[in-house]
Amino acid sequence: MNLSFFDQFTSPCLLGIPLILLSMLFPTLLLPTPDNRWVTNRLSTLQLWFLHLITKQLMSPLNKKGHKWALILTSLMTMLLTINLLGLLPYTFTPTTQLSMNMALAFPLWLATLITGLRNQPSISLGHLLPEGTPTPLIPALIMIETTSLLIRPLALGVRLTANLTAGHLLIQLISTATTALLPIMPTVSILTSLILLLLTILEVAVAMIQAYVFVLLLSLYLQENI
Amino acid sequence: VLHTTRPLHTTQQCLAPLPPLPEKGGEVRYGLIPEEFFQFLYPKTGVTGPYMLGTGLLLYFLSKEIYVINHETVAAACILSVIIYGVKKFGSDVAAFADKLNEEKVARALSVKNEAIKDLEAAIEQEKKEQWRVEGRSYLFDAKRNNIAMLLETNYRERLLTVYNEVKKRLDYQVALQNLKRQKEQDHMIQWVEKNVVQSITPQQQKESIAKCILDLKALSKTAQAAV
Repeated sequence: MNLSFFDQFTSPCLLGIPLILLSMLFPTLLLPTPDNRWVTNRLSTLQLWFLHLITKQLMSPLNKKGHKWALILTSLMTMLLTINLLGLLPYTFTPTTQLSMNMALAFPLWLATLITGLRNQPSISLGHLLPEGTPTPLIPALIMIETTSLLIRPLALGVRLTANLTAGHLLIQLISTATTALLPIMPTVSILTSLILLLLTILEVAVAMIQAYVFVLLLSLYLQENI
Repeated sequence: VLHTTRPLHTTQQCLAPLPPLPEKGGEVRYGLIPEEFFQFLYPKTGVTGPYMLGTGLLLYFLSKEIYVINHETVAAACILSVIIYGVKKFGSDVAAFADKLNEEKVARALSVKNEAIKDLEAAIEQEKKEQWRVEGRSYLFDAKRNNIAMLLETNYRERLLTVYNEVKKRLDYQVALQNLKRQKEQDHMIQWVEKNVVQSITPQQQKESIAKCILDLKALSKTAQAAV
């Protein structure tokens, strides 16, 4: 298997059957099913604790109507977290490196927050386009800037996730290629490069978790403004 | 229908009591391979069997280039070392944390039960105290009875005194009345006697008595002069 640098980003296909759905659904198999008992095993307890933590964090700034979004935001967070972390293993495909998937996640959710805001409380929603306390001559320019920033949000969400993960994976590939290539020539430099790779891997683990959190957090922020 | 579908059930009907969770998870060697695999190979290949199998497979894959060493190998080594380091360092802490969560859950339920037991025991103590208080009830009633008897006695005595005073007043009145009457009779009699005596003194007697008095006075004046 001679891999080029971008083989890890091709959507997997087996005998012509696209496996992207399987790779998106696989992480759920790794999470324990909630057992029908009161005191569960360690994994289920930890999973429950973690889900409580996420839900409390996301839902505390939202009002009561926003709590309807608890399920979708928590499950989104879990999915992104597991997909990102599993992507760090070798020879795995990370669906979140595909811009198509991230835009498919970001755009409808952002649009849902926007339409909820414009439908239920249009003045307040549009009022967010003008920050408080701006000097009067600046108002037209600021409105246009804020509108642009509003409309660019889904693009930003999707591209942020894609870029971070793709860049991280690519860097890992490049540095590990450098390590492999330097091994017969200059072993010491190769070992230094492998140290860099180690640090990068730790960074990538952190980035994977942070990016998932940031995605969901930003969506909850957009929701806060509009609900 | 219930009985015909019974053979098709795969899980137990009743959800309680659930069988308890096993104390420890399945034994694994090197965090990946279950112990049962080693036991399975032990009769045929002894202790080193699975290791030989593993090494042989690895070398086979490498030599036949079924697995090619490329950049992913290095990346795999890195991520695996990070994972193993994380598990070794934080594994026991995470397990202890999960156990603590479970312990807290059980402790909360137990505390509810213990609080209920404590409250009931306190209620029993209260009840016993009330029962003891009931025993003293007779003394209370005796005291109250004595109190009432004293009040009645006092009241009776007061009324008796009132009666006595009233009777005494009436009798005093009668006595005073009698005294007054006698006094009046006496006075009246004395007045009548005096009146009659004064009336009885005739003018002849009056002159005689006056002449006698003058003679007496002269006699007395002679002796008085002598005395002075």
